[in-house]
Amino acid sequence: MDMVGSRRRRALSYAVRYAFLVVAAFILVYPFLFMVSTSLKSRSFVLGDPMKLIPDEPTIENYVRVLTTENFGLYFLNSTMVAVASTFLIVLLSSMMAYAFTRLEFPGRRILFACIVVGLTIPTMMLIIPQFLLARDLQLLNSLAGLVPFYVGTALAFNTFLLSGFFQGIPKELDEAMEIDGAGPWRRYVSLALPLSKPALGTCVIFAFLGTWDEFAWALTVLNDVEQRTLPIAIALFHGQHSTSWGLVFAASLIAIVPVLIVYIVFQRFFVAGLASGAIKN
Amino acid sequence: MAHPGVIGSHIADMRTMKFRVKGKRVKTLKQLAPLAALGVAALALGGCTAGGETGSSGIGQPGATDISGTVTFWHAFSTDSTEVATLEDVLIPAFEDRFPDVDVKAVAVPYDELHQKLITAVAGDQLPDLVRADIIWVPELAELGVLEPLSASMPDFQEIADKVFPGPLATNRWKGEYYGLPLGTNTRVTMYNADVFAAAGVEVPATFEELLAAAPALKAAGAYAFADNGASGWNVLPWIWSAGGDIVDPDVTKASGYLNSPESVAGVQMLVDLYQGGYLPPIILGDAGGLSTSDGLVQGDYATIYDGPWMYPIFAGQYPDFELHDAPVFAGAGGSISVVGGEDVVLTSSSQNKAAAAEFLRYLLSEEAQLAMAKVGVMPVLSGLGSDLTGINPNFATFVEQLANARPRPATPAWPKIDALIQDEIRAAIRGDKTVQEALDDAAKQADELLAEYN
Amino acid sequence: MTTSMGTPPTALIASATPRRRRTPAAAGARRRAALAGYTFVLPGFALYALVMLYPAVQTFLLSLRDWKIGRGAVSPWVGLDNYVEAFQDPKFLDSLLNALVYTVVTVPLQIAIGLFLAVLLDSKLPGRVAFRVLFYLPVVTSWVVVSLLFQFMFSSGDGPANFIAVDVLHLADENIGWFRERWTSFIAICALGVWKGIGWAMLIFLAALTAVPRELHEAAALDGAGAGKRFWHVSVPAIRGALAVVVILLVIGGFNVFISVLLMTGGAHDTQVPLTYMYTQAFEFLEFGYGSAISFTLTAIVLAVSALQYWWTRRRMAD
Repeated sequence: MDMVGSRRRRALSYAVRYAFLVVAAFILVYPFLFMVSTSLKSRSFVLGDPMKLIPDEPTIENYVRVLTTENFGLYFLNSTMVAVASTFLIVLLSSMMAYAFTRLEFPGRRILFACIVVGLTIPTMMLIIPQFLLARDLQLLNSLAGLVPFYVGTALAFNTFLLSGFFQGIPKELDEAMEIDGAGPWRRYVSLALPLSKPALGTCVIFAFLGTWDEFAWALTVLNDVEQRTLPIAIALFHGQHSTSWGLVFAASLIAIVPVLIVYIVFQRFFVAGLASGAIKN
Repeated sequence: MAHPGVIGSHIADMRTMKFRVKGKRVKTLKQLAPLAALGVAALALGGCTAGGETGSSGIGQPGATDISGTVTFWHAFSTDSTEVATLEDVLIPAFEDRFPDVDVKAVAVPYDELHQKLITAVAGDQLPDLVRADIIWVPELAELGVLEPLSASMPDFQEIADKVFPGPLATNRWKGEYYGLPLGTNTRVTMYNADVFAAAGVEVPATFEELLAAAPALKAAGAYAFADNGASGWNVLPWIWSAGGDIVDPDVTKASGYLNSPESVAGVQMLVDLYQGGYLPPIILGDAGGLSTSDGLVQGDYATIYDGPWMYPIFAGQYPDFELHDAPVFAGAGGSISVVGGEDVVLTSSSQNKAAAAEFLRYLLSEEAQLAMAKVGVMPVLSGLGSDLTGINPNFATFVEQLANARPRPATPAWPKIDALIQDEIRAAIRGDKTVQEALDDAAKQADELLAEYN
Repeated sequence: MTTSMGTPPTALIASATPRRRRTPAAAGARRRAALAGYTFVLPGFALYALVMLYPAVQTFLLSLRDWKIGRGAVSPWVGLDNYVEAFQDPKFLDSLLNALVYTVVTVPLQIAIGLFLAVLLDSKLPGRVAFRVLFYLPVVTSWVVVSLLFQFMFSSGDGPANFIAVDVLHLADENIGWFRERWTSFIAICALGVWKGIGWAMLIFLAALTAVPRELHEAAALDGAGAGKRFWHVSVPAIRGALAVVVILLVIGGFNVFISVLLMTGGAHDTQVPLTYMYTQAFEFLEFGYGSAISFTLTAIVLAVSALQYWWTRRRMAD
């Protein structure tokens, strides 16, 4: 093959890709830039000119006000604890279920899986009162720890479904090979399924963390004490009844996005091509 | 018979101490213990009422010194607001100084979600002791049976009721009893842009006729004569009442003959005429992306709007160069009558510490507390403070004047539905889909059916 | 060799279990296997059943009554009256239509654009991590904030949307009042939905694409296939499973659209969707029985649609 030609072709293909990526990035990121811009303004009951992203007199006073709000650090911590605990349990339980549904044989497997899929179609908003009564009866009201079972339970259907799809793609032969070697199901789960589905697990962690970190309606309904407050509630409380200082709200929202982005950046490392190829060779 | 079997519910009849447990789930002894404790507490509180009060609701005489415990108070003041600062740094400490054994826990709930949280708490029987509720929620909550009828159980109720404005007080009335007391009040007045009027060469109108007369000149100067962002009760009632009309009869039993009376029709007709003439912007039909009334006023696109006292600090913060002027709402055949807004404080019937809660309630209605809140922009409900108010906050002047005869929206649990259908019908009339008479006739018919459920 | 997500999880339900030899040894092994299966499934399933299925059943029972809250309230049994009322309610039927339109518009767009971006990023492009983060930003920004921003961008005055519609694309002569009418409001709502969902779809596709063994791409390249051909014949079959999952989840999400509509229009101008209508009925009008009936009808419809999708993908798999 012509070396120069292929290099030029590669450069051209890169250029075209970059062009698309930059345009897409601009469109997707523009509202976010506007958020940042507004958060750096001091008078922000109204949103300013959308074409002007750089504020006239940028100021960090909104960020200072947010960070020095009483208990803001506590709310951050509360959200972190709940999100971390929930994410861990969600990933653990849904990967176990997904493995069982795709690789283990037991009576009722199909029915149970169908029940899980049905759960995907149920909108959680309509369950809020029965769930509230349940939480009351289980004495889980007004406690951060009480949030976790509900967050985990409502996320299991989605994550199990997602992981089942990924587990399904792991070659059965590998499983069977390990079984012949005498490995029990737990061993196969831990040493084969989990490592091979790192991209899927990474996706799970990202979605689970985001879902629990951002969750607002349920937390607001069951929590009352200031000490238990989570971050989304704290941010909603920056809204006034008659007006809202958007710069303040945006600054708070941007601060709240940071942990989610960190989780994303850390776990998207798992999206590395060719994970399965190594396994096939063995 | 009652709730679905799987959701058990308990009814404790405190007077007779009988516990009926409904639903298939049988309560174990351990689960009944808290109920028993509640019963004992109720007995004890009942015993505390001096003065031989019948009905052991637990509210004592004012200034009782043996009150103690926790009082939870739900409110919707936002973080970092001057109101919440006053509540937490001034009012609560002052109260706790006077009653050292009482611990007041103020819980902030975002305003947009407070109603939903209340309703869920009702369903789960998890209400706090006191709530700072929007005035339109009180009849609904009273109908649900979760509020304490203060007029019956509070010995000094009439004393306090005599000191507050009648309009705000009336928002607490349901089926002959009062289920709360007003806490803060407000109303809408005309706010106008003086520069636009100067440019158009017209005087600021005071009546319907003057408004219509001035509209063409304002339009020529590039401004809508009036702007509002909806057609629900809060928006249109000033027009209906000022025209001499009304929505329902004084006993809130029917709307026909009131909502579709000639005077009411005249009031709504004003809005239709303004819109048809191009003097009223389309945001009245709903436009989430449209120019808001406050921005439009400042920019000179709207000559007048109706809004409340909170706009003064907002304008000061956002548009410090704009000089805000106000005037009473446009007067029609019925005078210049506006609509009352605000909050009431209610005591829940499930409260386990009614004596202390009632005491905090009394404190919130004291001159000291009301003046403290007035300093941060919450208009007090005590009629006696009227003359002091303009000294505290000069911006209150027009509002105090307007409050003298401002009326509350009809106090009925059916109000949310009636409000929604009034908005739909009036919007149809504005768009020209129906005549005003047809729209209000249809609205009255539907409102009658809804009101019939409660009468 | 089976590839990454060759078969969708829905095929799981359909897969036939092989015949087993009926010997005592085999029976013992079966029992052990079943035990293992249950140990893996039951903890999660029990929690799921407690927190989701049990309240769902209660909600269904609630929908058969005119449920009243409040102390000592009596909730009379009405049977299927709420459901009958729902099907005769023009507002409810309109809301279903709105949800359908929203789904039909936003789902293909999210898939197409999400897949496209995932493919672009599935290579050793320098700076791809930065792009992945940028594309994910819309997904993590709160609905409250982005709804406000989109309201602002679709302003009836001189906003970005009008700039594009009038000045760039010349779709209209003067500024459009986007939120003054039903379908233009939906353009804004759909734009928000697509914008926020692209990163989500991209993420799943990316995960699926990166699990495709490199050898397959290399083999195809050696055979002389260009990027386009390789995409169609290697990547797409490999992610068919992911595609099926994403379509089902996005369709469910589309019919269940709630918060964006609530915040953008509040249901004005007939833009109600089933869940906003349910919310109004339940929490504003305190019609819990009716609200529950509405949600259940929606759930039934979504279930039916998902079942159809699964059956259709199963047929495609069998080809």
